[in-house]
Amino acid sequence: MVDLWLLGQATTSGLLLGCIYAVVALGLSLIWGVMEIVNFAHGDFLMLSMYLSYFLFTYLGLDPLIGSILGFLMGLALGLIVEKGLIEKVLGSPPIVTILVTFSVLLIIRYGAMAAWGPGVKTLHPWYFMAILDLWGVRISMAYLIGALISLAATIALHIFLKKTYTGIALRATSQNRLAAELLGIDARKMYTLSFCIGVALVGLAGGVLSTFYYVIPEVGGRFCMLSFVIVVLGGFGSLLGTFLGGLIIGVAEEISAIFIPPVMKDVVAFIIFLLILMLKPSGLFGEVAR
Amino acid sequence: MRALRMIKAELSTKAGRIFNAAAIVAVILPLVVRDQFFINAMMLVYMYSIIALAWNLMNGYTGLLSFGHAVFFGIGAYTLMLLLYRGVTPWIGMLLGGLLSAGFAFLLGVPFSRLRSHWFALGTLVLGEIFLIVFANWRAVGGALGLDQPRRLLLSPPSIYWLNYARPTPYYYLALGILGLELLLLYAILNSRPGYFFQAIREDEEAAMASGINVTLYKCISMAISGFFTGVAGGIYTVRFGYIDPYAVFSMMRISVYPVIAGLIGGVYSLIGPIIGSLIFVPTAEYLRAIVGGTLGSRFQGVHFASFGIVLLIISMRIPEGLMGWLEMRGLLKPLMSSGGGSDER
Repeated sequence: MVDLWLLGQATTSGLLLGCIYAVVALGLSLIWGVMEIVNFAHGDFLMLSMYLSYFLFTYLGLDPLIGSILGFLMGLALGLIVEKGLIEKVLGSPPIVTILVTFSVLLIIRYGAMAAWGPGVKTLHPWYFMAILDLWGVRISMAYLIGALISLAATIALHIFLKKTYTGIALRATSQNRLAAELLGIDARKMYTLSFCIGVALVGLAGGVLSTFYYVIPEVGGRFCMLSFVIVVLGGFGSLLGTFLGGLIIGVAEEISAIFIPPVMKDVVAFIIFLLILMLKPSGLFGEVAR
Repeated sequence: MRALRMIKAELSTKAGRIFNAAAIVAVILPLVVRDQFFINAMMLVYMYSIIALAWNLMNGYTGLLSFGHAVFFGIGAYTLMLLLYRGVTPWIGMLLGGLLSAGFAFLLGVPFSRLRSHWFALGTLVLGEIFLIVFANWRAVGGALGLDQPRRLLLSPPSIYWLNYARPTPYYYLALGILGLELLLLYAILNSRPGYFFQAIREDEEAAMASGINVTLYKCISMAISGFFTGVAGGIYTVRFGYIDPYAVFSMMRISVYPVIAGLIGGVYSLIGPIIGSLIFVPTAEYLRAIVGGTLGSRFQGVHFASFGIVLLIISMRIPEGLMGWLEMRGLLKPLMSSGGGSDER
C-alpha cells in the first residue's frame, strides 16, 4: 500500500534530483539553442568531471563540492578545446558531420576513460554521504539537498547572466537570429564557443555534485545523456525555462515510479513520457516545434 | 521488370564486371580457404554488411542517422531464440524476427519522424540504452544472463532444418545469400517511387512535403525496411552463436556503431559502399580483438572502442563522403549504382 508519506518522500527527493538533472540538461539545451548542434558527448563530459571529483577526494582529500567548482573550470577548458579544435572546423557541414564529430568525442572520452581507469565502479563518501535531514517528518538526504542547492544557484546565475549582462544578451540574440545578431556587430563564432564552453562547464559542475551520491563508472554518461535528452524534448527544444521545469518533472516522475516498479526500470518511465510528449505535443511544454 | 533490366545493364558495365567477379570469389571462397577463423570473420563481414546496408537506407538515402540499430538487431535475435524454444525452425524464426523488427521500426517512426537530424540520432542512441535496460531486467527472456539455444539442438545432428552446424561455412553462405537478396531488393526499391521519395526527404523535407510526399509515412517505410533486414541479421547471429544476451545483441559498440563506421568508410551515398566499408572495417576490428585483445585484459576494450572513435572522427572530418564518394569525385569510378547519385549534394 502506497501511503502519502511515501509519495511526499519521493516527490521531495525527485524535486531535488530534478534540479541536478536540469543543470545537466540546461547545458545541452543552451548549446542547441545557440549552435543548433547536439552535443552527444554531453554525458561523458559529466563522467570526466565525476572522475576528477573522485580523484581529488581520494588522493587529495578535497571535498567533492570544491571538486565540482574545479569540474566547472575543467568543463570550460574542455569545451574550449573541443569547440575550437573540432566543432568549429565542421560548422558549415551537413548535420551528419557535426553529429558524428560529437559522437566520436563521446566514444573517445568514454572508452578512453575505460582504458585509463578500468571499467570498475568507484564511489566516494564525503561526510554528508549518509547524512539525513529530518524536515517535518520528510527525510531528506543531505547530499541531494546540497546538490540541489548548488544546481539551483547555478541555474539562477545562468539566468542572470543571460538576462542582465551584455554578453548574455548577445548570446540570446545569436540563438534567436544569427544573421540579425551578426548585423548588430555580435561575433557569432565567439558566441558559439562561449555557449559550448558554458554548456560543458555546467555539466562539469553537475558532475562534481553528482559524484557525492552517484557511483562513478566510464559508462555513466549514457544515462545522463538519455535523461537530458528526454528533459530537453519535454521542456521544448532550446527553451531554458522549459528545460528546468522538464528536469523537475522527470526527477519527480522517476522517483515516484520507482515506488511501483523495480528502480532500474525508472528510466523506461522517463522514456515513455518522452514518447508520449513527441506524439501529443511535439513542441514540448514551452518550446517551438522541433527543428 | 524494369528493375531487373536495370540490374542487367548495370552488371554489363566495367564496375558491374568487377562486382560479378567479387561475387564469384565470395561464393567459392570457403571451398579454397580452410582457415575457420577467416571464414567466420567473413561471415561476420556479411552479417555486418546486411546491417550496414539497412542502416544506410535510413542514413544515406532517407537522411535518418541512427545510432540504435542494435534495437532492431536484438528484436530479431530474441524472436528467433524464443521461437526455437517453441520448436519453430530458424528459417521461419528469422523471417518472423525480421517482420517483428520491421513492425516495431514502422511504429517507432510515428513519434520519431517528429525529430529532426540531431535529435533523431540522439533518440535512436537513447532507445538502445532503454532496450538494454528492459531486456537486462526482463526475467522471462533470461534477464542479464541471456538465453542459450535449446539443449536438444546441441544434441541433435546438424541439419539444414535446424541450422545447428558447428563449423562456420553454412552460416557463411546463409549470410552471403541474405546479403545478395537484400542488395537486389534495395536496388529495386531505390530505383522505384519509394526510393525517389526517400531521397527527396533526405534532400529537403519541407520541399518533399510540399510536393505531396507523405513524409511521415515514407520515413516509417524506410525504417521498416531497414528494421526488417537488421532483424534478419540478428537471426543470423542467433543461429550462428547459439547464445544471446542483452549486452551482446543490444550493444551500442558491437552492433550499432559498426554499420555507422562501415558505412562511412565505404561511402553513404552509394549502395555498395557500406559493403566495402564492412570488408575493410570488420576484419580489422575482429583480428585486432583476437590478436591484441588477450594480452591487455579488460582495459583493452576501452582502447579498442576508443580507437573506433578516433577512426570515426578522422573519417567524418576528412572524408565524410567515404571511399566510394572519394573515388567518384576523382573520376576514378562512374557511379556504380545510378540511384546512388548526388554524392556532392548536401
